[in-house]
Formats: sequence, structure tokens, C-alpha cells
Amino acid sequence: MIPRITRILSLTALTVTATSLYAEQLDVEKDTLKFGFIKLTDCAPIVIAKEMGYFEEEGLQVEVTAQPNWKQLLDNVINGELDGAHMLSGQPIAATIGFGTKAHIVTAYTLDLNGNAITVSNDIWKQMQENDPALDTETPEHPITADSLKPIVQAAKDEGKRLPMGMVFPVSTHNYEIRYWLAAAGINPGMYTSTDIKGFTGGDIELSTTPPPQMPATLESGKNVAYCVGEPWNQQAVAKGIGVPVVTNYDIWKNNPEKVFGVTKKWADENPNTHIAVVKALIRAGKWLDETDADGNLVNREEACRILSQKNYVGADYDVLKASMTGYFYFQKSDKREMPDFNVFFKYHSTYPWYSDGVWFLTQMRRWGQITEPKPAEWYAETAKEVYLPKVYLAAAKHLLQEGYIEESDIPWDTDGYKAPTDEFIDGITYDGKDPIGYLNSHTIGNKDEI
Amino acid sequence: MSYLEIDNASIGFGPYDNRTEVLTDVNLSVEENEFVAIVGFSGAGKSTLISLLAGLIQPDKGEIRIGGKIITEPSPRLGIMFQNYSLLPWLTVFENVALAVKQVFPKYSKEELKEHVEKYVGMVNLLPALGKKPSELSGGMRQRASLARTLSMKPEVLLLDEPLSALDALTRAVIQDEIINIWESDKRTIVMITNDVDEAVLMADRIVPLTMGPAATLDDAFPVDLPRPRNRTTLNTNPAFRRLRNDISKYMVNLNDEAKALQASQAVVELPSIMPIDFSVLPLKPARGRRRAVIAKVVDRETTFFK
Amino acid sequence: MAEKTADAIKYKILRFLDVTGFTVFDPIVRLAFREEPKKQLESIFKFLIIPIMFICFCVWVWWTVAPNHKTKSGEVPTPDVVMQSARINHTFSEREKTKETDFLLVGEERLAALAAVEAEMESKSVILAELEARLAQHESNYAQVLEARLAPLQKELDEVKAKYDAIEAEKKVLITEAAAAIEAGTGTTEALLAAIRAEGIAKDESRAAESIIKDKIDAIRSDKYKPLETARLDVNAVADQIQFLKKRVDFLSQSNRSMKVLEAEETLMEYQAKLAKATTAKAALSEAKRVVRAEDSIERLEKQQYASAMTVYLQVKRSIFTVFVGFVVAAIIAIPVGILCGLSRIAMACLTPIISIFKPVSPVVWLLIFQIVVGAFFPDPESHPFFLFFNSLPFIGNLGINPALIFSGCTVAMCAVWPALVNTALGVASIDKDHINVARVLRLNFWERLTKIIIPSAMPLIFAGLRISLGVGWMVLIAAEALSSSDGLGKFVWDEYQNGSSFSFANIIYACFVVGIIGFCLDRMMIVLQRFVSFDESGTSL
Repeated sequence: MIPRITRILSLTALTVTATSLYAEQLDVEKDTLKFGFIKLTDCAPIVIAKEMGYFEEEGLQVEVTAQPNWKQLLDNVINGELDGAHMLSGQPIAATIGFGTKAHIVTAYTLDLNGNAITVSNDIWKQMQENDPALDTETPEHPITADSLKPIVQAAKDEGKRLPMGMVFPVSTHNYEIRYWLAAAGINPGMYTSTDIKGFTGGDIELSTTPPPQMPATLESGKNVAYCVGEPWNQQAVAKGIGVPVVTNYDIWKNNPEKVFGVTKKWADENPNTHIAVVKALIRAGKWLDETDADGNLVNREEACRILSQKNYVGADYDVLKASMTGYFYFQKSDKREMPDFNVFFKYHSTYPWYSDGVWFLTQMRRWGQITEPKPAEWYAETAKEVYLPKVYLAAAKHLLQEGYIEESDIPWDTDGYKAPTDEFIDGITYDGKDPIGYLNSHTIGNKDEI
Repeated sequence: MSYLEIDNASIGFGPYDNRTEVLTDVNLSVEENEFVAIVGFSGAGKSTLISLLAGLIQPDKGEIRIGGKIITEPSPRLGIMFQNYSLLPWLTVFENVALAVKQVFPKYSKEELKEHVEKYVGMVNLLPALGKKPSELSGGMRQRASLARTLSMKPEVLLLDEPLSALDALTRAVIQDEIINIWESDKRTIVMITNDVDEAVLMADRIVPLTMGPAATLDDAFPVDLPRPRNRTTLNTNPAFRRLRNDISKYMVNLNDEAKALQASQAVVELPSIMPIDFSVLPLKPARGRRRAVIAKVVDRETTFFK
Repeated sequence: MAEKTADAIKYKILRFLDVTGFTVFDPIVRLAFREEPKKQLESIFKFLIIPIMFICFCVWVWWTVAPNHKTKSGEVPTPDVVMQSARINHTFSEREKTKETDFLLVGEERLAALAAVEAEMESKSVILAELEARLAQHESNYAQVLEARLAPLQKELDEVKAKYDAIEAEKKVLITEAAAAIEAGTGTTEALLAAIRAEGIAKDESRAAESIIKDKIDAIRSDKYKPLETARLDVNAVADQIQFLKKRVDFLSQSNRSMKVLEAEETLMEYQAKLAKATTAKAALSEAKRVVRAEDSIERLEKQQYASAMTVYLQVKRSIFTVFVGFVVAAIIAIPVGILCGLSRIAMACLTPIISIFKPVSPVVWLLIFQIVVGAFFPDPESHPFFLFFNSLPFIGNLGINPALIFSGCTVAMCAVWPALVNTALGVASIDKDHINVARVLRLNFWERLTKIIIPSAMPLIFAGLRISLGVGWMVLIAAEALSSSDGLGKFVWDEYQNGSSFSFANIIYACFVVGIIGFCLDRMMIVLQRFVSFDESGTSL
């Protein structure tokens, strides 16, 4: 134990001064902070850290404010209106490489895993059932692939139409997930090119941006026939009877990274101790959210739902939030399934800022043409290192360990930042963060690069 | 040389190629402390004449002199009282008069100003309405306030532009008396324009008729030799008065007939080819008489841009 | 004498009603002073009772039509639901106030409050347990009822399925036979095709029959079971209260300011003791640093204020402030420029194209432009002296002035500037010729002419323009706030839309009334001002 601690010490010596090693407040540079979030359940760690007083215990006065959309949220972080925010994993990366708004954004904390789903309209669901009779039961077998969707897309295409589908932001996990799901069944979701920034080129469908809260309404009005979005907007569709979630992103990629806590590089450089203090509070909030009793039941989630249902936070009905947050997921009104890992806030070392996650998002950006030029494998690794700051995370974790808030096993102390290669994707392709080019080339649809 | 002189003044309006002469070769000389009345029909150019006298407009030809000095702009020596009162509606009677007094006597202290204003407002018997706004006053009271304002500037010449034409007969008589009283007690030169021959005869020393327009001019004056004070009730039975009134009236009626004859002779002239005018582009307050057609042509459409 | 004072009072009230534009209530005042009671009663009936009845009728129509208009995204709320949402919003703001007082309570009072809250929490917990039990009961009831209603349909569905499965099997046999017949040389291709077509038709029929039953099942599933819904709402209400009480306990104990200060003082003493005992230079240095830091933190804690969440009232306050900022900016620009335009035809000609092009531009476009422009002025808004200054002022300090407020205000100004400008120009340009003559006769200089003649004479039109401007500004502001998520009523509406909770729709309608009523008050305020500056007695249109 002791030698390990010293090793960590040397690792973090750059950012942490010797005096702040013990159980006491860090010498924060800035004590009143303003964080932004989007009304989705996965903003929970930030809200919980505030409501449970974790920020306060770090000597931080934090105000959290809802933002209207991801673009505005990012702009507000860049212009300094917000100190930090609940961000899509793709946002810091895209901003750093200059896709969309250019700004160096960094992250030292992954807020959660999973938590999204793809919902199709009732009409599409009926047609899918016709195409695949196996789906025509109360509880069809999961995961549901887009194979049964393909004939519908084809039929629409023959009529000269491209089915409209929705995702929340061009660099959102949702965009990459719904594309992945469609492409896995041979449906081309369309490519971004240097001239087509909407990503429609060569697509069998038209995938466009829709703000999360509008998703159910667009499904009902027929503006979209399917969408990929976070909670509570899939459960909302079930509750209102306007759509059927067919697949969660847990089934597309088990334990995929979802949201991160992003700040600007400038802010992180100017406020190193504040950053550590914030991450400390977030880790505690994540741990609180994933706390289980002896039987493995999540004990704090109901209270979290109560807090999130307050109108200044997510504001949706408690029952709707509860539907996905407490370890269950309604696929139809009659189809409630246990999904203990639908929202992961702390388990599986999920909060660590993994380089391999960053590389995966970069590969997706390249795969769909958001990165227009081929890049060497080293570039992927370097870019991920520019954005993800495990040092800050580990410094915070070390404080918490000494203060006794977490256990040693909670944190992957010795990792090089790359998760082990995994093939837990819906199409079974193996992803190894150290070989982004090989991964790109293993897909049928999408850009492929020379090695 | 007379005190106030109009020397061969002419004025017209309108663009070069479509000009309407309003006054041509007008000559008039007024002695100091004389009360001259100018009578004429509506639209003959009376208001233009008084504006010329007041220096509000300049003659195209000829000149107007006061005490030998050419008038080129309004001057405190010439006090004009407008036909429609022209009180500023957002100011009280006191403030209206005080505004004028301050311009002429800028060095007055507050007390002096107040005293001065009250003196002239008192002169027209309007003291009880000192703090009222014009909208709260009757027509006669407004005209008095206007008179008080003009008098308070202590002008050498008082130019009255149909001061009483908008008033009812009773109020008119009262104010006529007031004007005469003030003139008698506080001698000064008055040029009054009116369309009422009786009024002119009653008040003036001399009556100058204005011929019919266009290109109106002043004709020979009728001196009024009636003794003062002239009593309205007894005057009616005074043969001199009746003769004078008849003469002037006859003269005026003749003028009108001449004008009609003139028009009749012009009736055979081939009518010009004209298009209807879009009156919606006219200014808010339509011009009267002949000038309407002229104005309609010169009104710039741009000014209606924001309506 | 008494009668005279009564009359004086009456005319004062009537004058007030006239100035504020509430002449509708004239007859009531007159009636109270017994002036021609019959006539007054008649006009009360005509202009007060009938309109009230009409409004009641409208509300009744709302009440009856709303529940019949159901969409999947929610029901149209009835007036009582809207009232309830108003109450919920009020409760929310009351709770924030309670939390604030809790945060600041000290000494005995704090302990007493703490005890009371804890007792209340206990009793509520008991109630909650009861309600939860009842909810569980209802849930199982509902499950049973649902089961009972669905069972026959399910059976029917199974039967239909079985029936069509049999038919389809039959058709399949026919197809195989037809195919076999071709092989054997006895059948025709037509027969085979016909058989395949028949199968297709049978399939379609089966689908149609099944989907009818499935739709019925769906309809039953989406039927709301009232007792269950109410039970759920009851549980949620009590659970919310307990949540709130928990928070209060927190604010009365750990998070209470005095407690935090106390704790910090203890730490300080500890450090001081350690410092006194320190023997090495290094230890002394580090302990001394801690002491200083602890002192700083005590100082900070003592000044700490409760960070209140945005309540609807705060949002109203901020919206009014923003619209006021925008309106003042608009007036400051519009009046001088308008006067210039009215005075000078050249200025008018210069500005006409600008006004004509920019006047119809949508506020949304302005908002986006100002967002970028304003952002450039304040690279680091939190420490910008401009905001630090405004946020330190009393009354408006707690509104949180930030760039979002500035550019919302600018958007309001940009849209509100035109009516005021055009009206001012018109007012100045259409000044009475006689007044100009007066000015010339009085030989006023330019400045006196402007201040004594032109501006007073244009005043009624200027104020009419400002009144339109304020109305436009208020309308624009709500849109701007919604889009820019600058705190205010617009954001309230947008947030509600985003929340998508069962009360969202009601809250939006509630906000609609709040916006309307405030707009009405602002307009009335302008009318009163306009009456004060107008010199003609023609009155102002309402």
C-alpha cells in the first residue's frame, strides 16, 4: 500500500502541493462556480454533488443552471459564462480538434456510462414486427438489430424518400450510436464531407439534429420516425404511448462512455486546485449514486430521482425518471425489464477519464467523415491525451482515499489510460484503443484509412 | 417718411413655371400711433400681408421698413397676434406670456417677470385664469391670452391678424373695446386685418381695402373721421358712420363683382388637361383656397414615407 | 360642507380612474356616492356584469373543451390545473424563502426550528408509509383490473392468431401442391401464382384482424386509472415535502451558516494550537499558512448568503428589469435620433433606408447577432468590472446581471427602438406651423426652440411611440430569454417545455397569464405617463 501511494504521489506531484495532502479543504483558486447542464438524467452527478453538499465540503459555492442546447452550453463554457458543464463525450474532443466551434476543452471526469436508447415510432415498430415475426411478442428477444428496419428504409428509398431520424448533436454519442446500429445492419446513415456538414451524403436515411426535449414531439408529428436520445425522453415516449424503444446503447456497446464533465484548458490551468476539488465532489456524487445494498439494489436512486425531478434540475415527473434510473427500463408499457447497468455512475471504474474512450470517439468522427483527412494512429493517441486529464482525476481520488470516502479498488490506479480491447458491440467487432486505424478498417460502412 | 412703410412689395408662391402671385405692388404707409385696418375677402392674401409685415416671410420684390429700417426677420418691435391664438398648449397662460417676456427682457428677475406678466394678463382681464392651460379656456379667453402675450413684449407696432374672426358677436364686442382701450391708454401703432367692415370702421383711423386676388394689392384708403370714443350703440344712428360703411361695402361688393366678371371671361378659355390629385399625400392640415392645387404638386412624397 | 368634501373625494377617485384608464369602474364609484343610482346600475350591468359574464363563459368553454382535447404529448389543462400549477410555483418560492431563513437562523431559534422540523418529518414519514401502502394496493388493483380487461382480448387475439395460422398453413399446403403439380406436369403456372397470391391476401387479413385487437389492447393500457393516478400524486406530494424537510434539517444543522462558522472556528483553534506547538521552521510555516487560510474561510463564511434557486417571482423581477434596460436604451437612442430625423430632411433621407431595412428583422436574428457582439466585449464575464459593479448594487444585485441579460436587453432595445424613433420623427415633423411661427416671432434660438417648442409639442406622439416600444419590447424579451436561456419568464416557459413533466403544459399556460398581466400593467403605466404629458384632452386609446 505505502509504495503505491508514493508512486501516485510522484505521478501527481506536479499539480498537488505537499500541504494539501491531508483531509482538509484544498486551497481553491476560485470558490464560486457556475456549472451548466442539459435536462437529462445523466447530469445527476453534478446535481447530486451540489444537493448533497459535496461541493460545499470542498469549499465551493456552486450554482448549476440548465442550458437550452448543447451548442449554447459549449459556447457558454468557452466564453466564460460557465466554469464547467455536463458535456457530451464528443464535445471536448470535437472542440479541441476544431470540428464545429474551436476551443481547447478538457475533461478529468466521466459522468456516466450508457443511458441512451433508440426509439422508433409505433408505425415503424409495427412494420418491423411484420418484417421479423420474432419481434411480434410482448417481450421480444434483445438486442434488436436494425435488420428488420432495413426493408422499411429500402421501401422508402424506392419511393424516393429517405426516412428522417433524429439525434441530439453532431458530435454526440447518440449520433455515433444510432449510426453504429444502422450501419451494423447495412443501412448507410450518410457521411459528413468537407462540404456536407449535415452528414447526409450517400445516406439511406436522413439523420438530423433535434434537441432532446423535442424528440417525443417530433416523433408524434412524424418529423422523425426514430431517434436516439438520453433519458427521460425514451421513457417519456413509452409513457405517452408515442413510440417504442427498440435498443439501448448498452446493447449497442456494453458500458460505453456517455457524458463527461468539461472545462476549458485555460480554466483548468488557472484553477488546478479548484479542478481537483470539483472532481473530488463529483467522484463522491458518483459513488453515492451507485451505492448498493447487500442484495445489489441501488439504494440512493429514488432519492436522486426526487431531487432531479425538481423543476430547476431535470424537472420531469418523478415516475418517468424513476423508470430508467432505478435499474429498470420500460421497452413498452407491458415490457419492463431489469437493466441494472442502464445508468452507470461509478461502477466499472467508469468515472476515470479513459484515453481509449477519446480514441473511440475520434475513430467515429473519422469513420463518418467529420474528420475529413486520414490521420496516423499516433495522432489519435495524442489528441486523446490533450483532452483527457487522468492526473487531475487521480489527484482527486487520492485525496478521497485518504479522507476515507472511497476504497482503493474503486480507482484504476495503475492503468495506462486504455481499457482492455473489447468486442461487446452489437456487431461483435473488436475495439482496441491502441489500434484506431485497424478498428476503422474493420467496418464495412464508413471511411477506411491506409495503415 | 412714414413710420411703417410697405414699398412696392410683391410676393408669390409656387414653382417657377406655375407661379401664383399673391400680392403685387403693395404700397402702404402707416404713421406712428395710427390704427390702420385692412379689409379684404377671404383668400385675398391678408395673412400673407401680415406675415410680410411681421418679417415672417420676405417679399420677392420691394421692401418693408419700420422707422426707415428694412425688416428682414421677426423683431421685437413688431408684435404679431395670430388669427388662431397660437398659444402653446402645454404651457399655462402665465408660462405662455412669461416665455415671451423672457425673450424680450432676459434680465428680469423672477419677481419682475411675475409682475410684468401679471400686469399684462390683468390688462386683458384674465388674471383668474393665470394658471390654466389653453385647452381649459374659451375662445375669447384664449384670444385675450394671446393679446396679453403680444402686448407684454411691448412692441412698437401691433399686428393683428383677424384677431376676432373666430369669436362670437358678444365676446367680439368686449374684446374690441378692450383693444381700443389699451390702444388709447398705451398709444402705439396698430395694423389690424379684418373681414368685418363694421369692426374696421368702429376701431380704425383709416381703412385700406385689399383687392381680390390673385395678385391683390391695396387700394386707396378710406379715412375714418368719426370722433372717439366711438359708441357702438349710438354709432349705428350716426350718418357719417353709415355713409362710410356703405361706401366701403359697396366698394367691396364691386371688387367681388369684378372678380366674378374676370372669372366669367376666363371661363371660355380652354380647360387645361389635368389629372386628379392624390389628396392622401397632402399634409395633415389642408391648405385653403387656390393654394391647395399648388401645394399638392409641391408636396414631396418622401415626407409620407413613415406614415 | 360635508357634501363638498365627499364630492371632492369622488372627483379625485374619478380622475384617478380616468388617468389610469379604468373608467369602467366609474359607475361603481358614482353609485357609492349615490349619484343617479338607476343610471349607474344600468351602466354597471352593461359594461361590467356583461363582460364578466362573457369572461366566465370563456372560462367555461375552456373548462369543457380542454379535457376533450387529448394529445399523446399531454392533455390541455383545465383552469383548476393551471391554478394548481400557480400554487405549486408559489410553494416552490415559499420553500426557497424558508430555506434562506433556515440558513441564517442562529442560537435557540435554530434549535427550536430544528426540533419542529424533525417532528414534522417524523409525522410525514408515517403518512408517507400509509400512502405508499395505499399506492401499492392501488397498483395491484389496477394490475388485476387490467388483467381482467385484457384477458378476453388476449384470448381473442390468440384465437385469431390460431385461426389465421391454420388458414395460412392451409394456403401453404395449396402452394406446395400447386408446385408439385407443375413438377408432375399436371398443373399450370397460373394456379401456382394464384395460390401464392391467396397466401399473401390471407396474411394481410390476419394482420388486419390482429392489429384491430392490438389497438384495443393498447387503448386499454393507456386508459388512465384515476385512483392510481391520485394515489401516485399524493405520494409524490408527501415525498416532496419530506425531501424539503430533509433539506431544511440540513440547513438548520450542518449547512447552517452559524454552524459552518463555528466549525471553521474550531478548526482555526486547532491549527492555532498546533502552530503554538510547532518546533521546526517547516511545520511552523505550514501551520501558519493553515491558520491564515482558516481565518479567510471564516471571513468568507460569515458573509455567505443563501444561493436561492430561480423562482418564478425572481424570474418575473429579472424579466422586468431586462425589459426596462432594453427600453431605456431604446428610448435613449430613439428620441434624439427621431428628433434629428424630424428636424432635418437630410437626416431623414439618410436614416430611411436603415430604418426600413432593419425594422422588420426578427428579434431572433438580433439575439444571435448581439450574443456574438456582446460576448466579444466581455471575454471574462465573471470578473469583468462592469458586472462586478452592477451585481454589487442593492435591489438589482441579486438578479445576476450577466452577458445573457445584456444581450437580451440589447435585443429588446433593437426591436423597441423603431416605433419610438418613427413616432418621434413624425411628432417633430408634424409640429403645428403656428407654433413654429410663435418661435420665430419670439426669436427663440435653436436650443430654446427644441426644448420649449419642438419637444413639448412632439411629446404626446413620442410617448405613444414609447408605449408601443415597451409593448414590443416585452413581447420580444420573452422570445429572447427563451432562446438565450437568460433567466426570466422566457426561460421559465422554455424550461417547462423542456421538463415535459405532467405540469409543464399547465405551467406554460400559467406563464402565459403572468406575461399577459405584466404586459398589461406595463402598458397601463405608459398610458398614465402619456396622459401626463399630453396637452390635448382627446385622451388616449386603450
